Amino acid sequence: MFKLAITLILGFIFGSIMIASQAFTWYRIQEMFHFQSFHMFGLLFSAIGTAALSIWIIKKQKQKSVFGNELEITPKKLEWKANLFGGLIFGLGWSISGACSAPMFILAGFHWPIGIVLLLGALVGTIIFALLESKLPRK
Amino acid sequence: MSQPLPWFIAGPLIGLIVPALLLLREKQFGISSGYRFLGGVFLPKLSYFNYNKDQDRWQFQFAIGLILSGFAATQLFGVTDQVNKILPEFDYQETAKTIYSSKNILQFFLGGILVGFGSRYANGCTAGHCIMGVSQFAWSSILATVAFFIGGLLGSHFINPLIF
Repeated sequence: MFKLAITLILGFIFGSIMIASQAFTWYRIQEMFHFQSFHMFGLLFSAIGTAALSIWIIKKQKQKSVFGNELEITPKKLEWKANLFGGLIFGLGWSISGACSAPMFILAGFHWPIGIVLLLGALVGTIIFALLESKLPRK
Repeated sequence: MSQPLPWFIAGPLIGLIVPALLLLREKQFGISSGYRFLGGVFLPKLSYFNYNKDQDRWQFQFAIGLILSGFAATQLFGVTDQVNKILPEFDYQETAKTIYSSKNILQFFLGGILVGFGSRYANGCTAGHCIMGVSQFAWSSILATVAFFIGGLLGSHFINPLIF
């Protein structure tokens, strides 16, 4: 129960920040790709900076989790074709839909039809990947 | 036009989700694996979905929190009725004012498919690669982030003007 509650609350907080900063909207995404405002770049860079500093402190202090376990922080494996080709496809979708994974759920919460369409699309895309997975080049 | 929460407050708050998830849940920030979990619920027989789903269940729960945040915003601020009020000044296209309309459903569906497919293929999305991965200086995530932006620039400048 504790774990479920924490996960829900953190998701709720993350979503609320994305809404308050307008980062979930199609408009902010287009604005970013057209370099019309620093807003989204500042948001991303300061988020990465804060996260990097936090990870550095956690590693340096050998900080344990609240459950008393050592934290394993592992980077994702480099598979250059997958990261590159998948990344390009994701980027196309990101700019067309104006949403990455998290904003889709937020838009669905707005009970806007578009949010449901985006979620369905992403699920279909995931299933297409599952069908083609063995044939796609990875590294 | 209402002002957004400034980036220098919102950005660090988003960054703090990373240590919060690590310390309180022993999880690395990411969202798109929630779709793999969902796919496994519907099509458990496909080999890609036939895996230990316990590792991704939390992302699905995190996504429920996201949905709830959207719903709460509509209840508290009536975002649903005031979509134009929360939008930034924006001079990309006149159509921008009415983008979330049902006439654009096909475009959004296509965008959703590409996001779902691309994030699984690239093994992560903006959360897992751009924020969690880049802050570990992982080459996989740096490469994916560069690819996200190249794809996004192409889509925003060359595809969107044709389809919206």
